[in-house]
Amino acid sequence: MKQNKSLTTQIKDNAVIYLMLLPGLFFLAVFALYPIGWIVKNMFYHYTSFGEYSFTGLKNFGKLMRDEMFWNAVKNTLVYAAGKMAVTIPVAFLFAVVLNLKLKGRMFFRTVFFMPTIISVSVMSMVFYLIFNPYNGTVNQMLMALGLIQKPINWFDSKSAMVTVLIVAVWGAIGNYMIYFLSGLQTIPSDIYESAELDGATGWKKMRYITIPMMAPITQMVIMLALTQAFKDYENIMVLTSGGPNNKTEVLYLYIYRLMFPMGDAGGNIALQYGYGSAVAFATAVLVGIVTVIYLKWSRRMNETF
Amino acid sequence: MNGKAKKIVVKTVLYLVLSVIAAIIVYPVFYALIGGLKTNMEMLSGGSLFPKEWQFNNYKEVWEKANFAQYTFNSLFMCFFSTIGAVVISALTAYCLERRKFPGRQVIYSLYMATMFIALGSVTLRPLYLLAVKVNMHNTLWPVILINIGAQGTNIFLITKFISGLPTELDEAAMIDGCGPFRIFYSVLLPLLKPILGVVALFQFRHTWNDYITSSVFTMTQPQLRPLTVGVVQLKYGASAAAEWHLMMAGAAISIIPMLVVYFVCNKYFMTGTVDGAVKG
Repeated sequence: MKQNKSLTTQIKDNAVIYLMLLPGLFFLAVFALYPIGWIVKNMFYHYTSFGEYSFTGLKNFGKLMRDEMFWNAVKNTLVYAAGKMAVTIPVAFLFAVVLNLKLKGRMFFRTVFFMPTIISVSVMSMVFYLIFNPYNGTVNQMLMALGLIQKPINWFDSKSAMVTVLIVAVWGAIGNYMIYFLSGLQTIPSDIYESAELDGATGWKKMRYITIPMMAPITQMVIMLALTQAFKDYENIMVLTSGGPNNKTEVLYLYIYRLMFPMGDAGGNIALQYGYGSAVAFATAVLVGIVTVIYLKWSRRMNETF
Repeated sequence: MNGKAKKIVVKTVLYLVLSVIAAIIVYPVFYALIGGLKTNMEMLSGGSLFPKEWQFNNYKEVWEKANFAQYTFNSLFMCFFSTIGAVVISALTAYCLERRKFPGRQVIYSLYMATMFIALGSVTLRPLYLLAVKVNMHNTLWPVILINIGAQGTNIFLITKFISGLPTELDEAAMIDGCGPFRIFYSVLLPLLKPILGVVALFQFRHTWNDYITSSVFTMTQPQLRPLTVGVVQLKYGASAAAEWHLMMAGAAISIIPMLVVYFVCNKYFMTGTVDGAVKG
């Protein structure tokens, strides 16, 4: 028999549960909710390293609209995200399809292809920094030995830096999305393929009419994950190029970091600005939110059309 | 060409392509591991795949002179406490949210879900740094450990999904025997959670071992507190860095090798855990 107990008795009955939840709630409050509150408060303040501190209302957002660095970072973030996804997702899908075939040694290849995702992004970015070094790096040496280029390419000049950053990002990300696709492929029942084969479907047709449509839901999820992740990346860029040259690889999260911590290696010539940094952070969160909602709407409409 | 011969050709080409891709993927890691064993001259002139003479001295030099013994200790120290903290907190929270009904459950659950979708990244570092200064913890590694534990949204979600697959009869039987909620959690469910807690521990270990930004912010003025990742990247900015590639790579190798060993022992858990953690709800 269940009685309708009053809220207080319910809370009293569950005292032990609340006690057990306490450590988790402490972490949730301090490390997730508190920073959000701090950002939302400080984006209305003017705060500099000289100790000035005053309420400025929406002035930070006015500054943001006129800030070329911000719009440059928006552009670079979109280019980076689009570039990373455009290469990573199709390649990861292809790898997954191949490594889902009955091949001897496919576990070995899966293990190797997934390996980059477990190694430190910062350490590997430094290794890549040497590999792409214009004079002593092995990329240029190999390309020249193969006769593909005549003189060394400067992989970190304003023309190529974003490409270099993207190559490193793709190297680190493919394995992760390959594993998602593999798990999706394993949910397609094999008798669908068998009956299609009886009807005379060949490799490409099976791919086009069974694999790709059956993988649509998992692909949507993968794109969603890749989208939010691509907006969050900045560790690799910080170590590889520090956002340079001429802010050509500056992305939003790196810009926020530099506003909040202008000292150190990636600081450059920016002055510490908590308030303005908070405004940029808020604008970034809104931007990521908008892009995500647009994607969700679009993918829902795609679902209805097909 | 008959069918069988064609099949063999296709397979050979496939293996060849796969091997080339595997080589490209492995190369940067190989470059770091082997580069740490070359002389600096060899590194700077490139070309050779293997060193002429294996320079194990590089590791010794980094370990002793560049303070990597201390960095390794710091990394292990952080990983130890961060992993234990993460497992305890996520297991407790997941149990309460999945198996108990209490006022406020829905609110707490949605808050955790929300934390997984908001991309905070570099944004949280300044407020948390100021907070650490306020409670006078900024000269220790503890803020880095606590921040690395964080809200645990993904891990909690991973465990709730695992618990929902366990029969509730177990809890009920224990309840009839007079066990309280904590006893049920501790004696009945916890032993069954070992596989998923192993995955959580692995992920947390990787997360903390590879952490760079948080550690670098909190150890900016405290070089003796740096973990390996920060120590390695600092070599890039060091005064003599331009000339000492062999030492940079020896440092990188010291930071990569332990993670590689863990990965080759537990690679299945990394892969299945990655999928389970992503497929939400």
